[in-house]
Amino acid sequence: MKNFDLIKLPFSKNNPILVQVLGVCSCLAVTAQLKPAVVMAISVIVVVALANVIISLLRNTIPPRIRIIVQLVVVSTLVVLVDQVLKAYVYDVSKQLSVFVGLIITNCIVMGRLEAFAMVQKPLPSLLDGIGNGLGYSVILIVLGFVRELFGSGTLWGYPVMEKLGLYEIGYENNGLMIMPPMALILVGLIIWWHRSKNKDLCEQ
Amino acid sequence: MAKSFSNSYIFIYSAVLVVVAALILTVVAVSLKPAQEKNQRAETKQMILKTIGIDATRDNADELYAQHITEADNYYTFDGGIILPLKGTGLWGPIWGYLALDNESTVVGAVFDHKGETPGLGGEIASDKFAQRFIGKKMDTEAIHLKKNADKSNPYEVDAISGGTMTSNGVTAMLAKAYDDYSNLLTKPETPETLETPAEEMEATE
Repeated sequence: MKNFDLIKLPFSKNNPILVQVLGVCSCLAVTAQLKPAVVMAISVIVVVALANVIISLLRNTIPPRIRIIVQLVVVSTLVVLVDQVLKAYVYDVSKQLSVFVGLIITNCIVMGRLEAFAMVQKPLPSLLDGIGNGLGYSVILIVLGFVRELFGSGTLWGYPVMEKLGLYEIGYENNGLMIMPPMALILVGLIIWWHRSKNKDLCEQ
Repeated sequence: MAKSFSNSYIFIYSAVLVVVAALILTVVAVSLKPAQEKNQRAETKQMILKTIGIDATRDNADELYAQHITEADNYYTFDGGIILPLKGTGLWGPIWGYLALDNESTVVGAVFDHKGETPGLGGEIASDKFAQRFIGKKMDTEAIHLKKNADKSNPYEVDAISGGTMTSNGVTAMLAKAYDDYSNLLTKPETPETLETPAEEMEATE
């Protein structure tokens, strides 16, 4: 596989959320607003990419019998680091994300990439694979965060878009369902539907 | 992958891995601590200011706090009353809050927060909607308590959170404890201060 494919494929044909259907839990929970979605996305990219590189560097020294534990230790360490950094520099966002930063540890995308890719590949492709999958996850998160914040709260990144457009004066109202997690699931469903219709080869017979 | 590893290799490998991870985390945690504590202090100030209706941002919290709040022994005073800190336990961990009372021990503002209550259930105590239920309630002859289907006109009852019974009980216990701890600060109705009010009314009718 060419290196560029490692970044490109997770965007669409092998998207972690749309095709592998991994990491859906956090994607429903943190996308009510754009800002936490973006911070979560960046955190996941950092964790997947670094974990992939570290595991790939260690891959020949890791005894297969304890490989899952080794992967977990590496991932947990990285996640705690990210959590500490968030608490120090973007405290409000870290409060909003609360348990979900910690839950990156159990995000199946991370473990999935380590087990399926980094354990058997060199560091550079692993790095690219991590970034690619992180970005694939991020794209969906950001789209969801954008739609849900815009129609659910009438703001974008906290900026009152709908109010500035003067829509409330002509009777526009925010859609309360948008800020509930079930709506995120419905939106993910719609995106998967659209995505499958564009990529017929992904459809099961 | 087919390489075999001896047991002692596995032991040493995991021990070294864990020690390295612990070392990295310790260094990072210690070096980031000042920044984190600064955020937490600012947040406490924001919470206290919120009880008296001032929405501070993290940046101007220090300044506004200095303007409006005076720290007493183990409580706070503002122009018009006192603010009591509340500490208790919820279902999963600590819960805390601040209660601003005017000179007649009527709640003018409240704010609650929690470490790890279930989001959407017990975690709702941190919402503005919940905090607003306390406004106008009394902490004079008895403590406020949370109750299902509370009588809104009863000044000692506040509607509990549905699905968050354990956390609600924690809030009730926390309020009862604060009532005991600060009973000397709370204005009881029989004090002369409150008796003045009817007298004024009589004058007005004359």
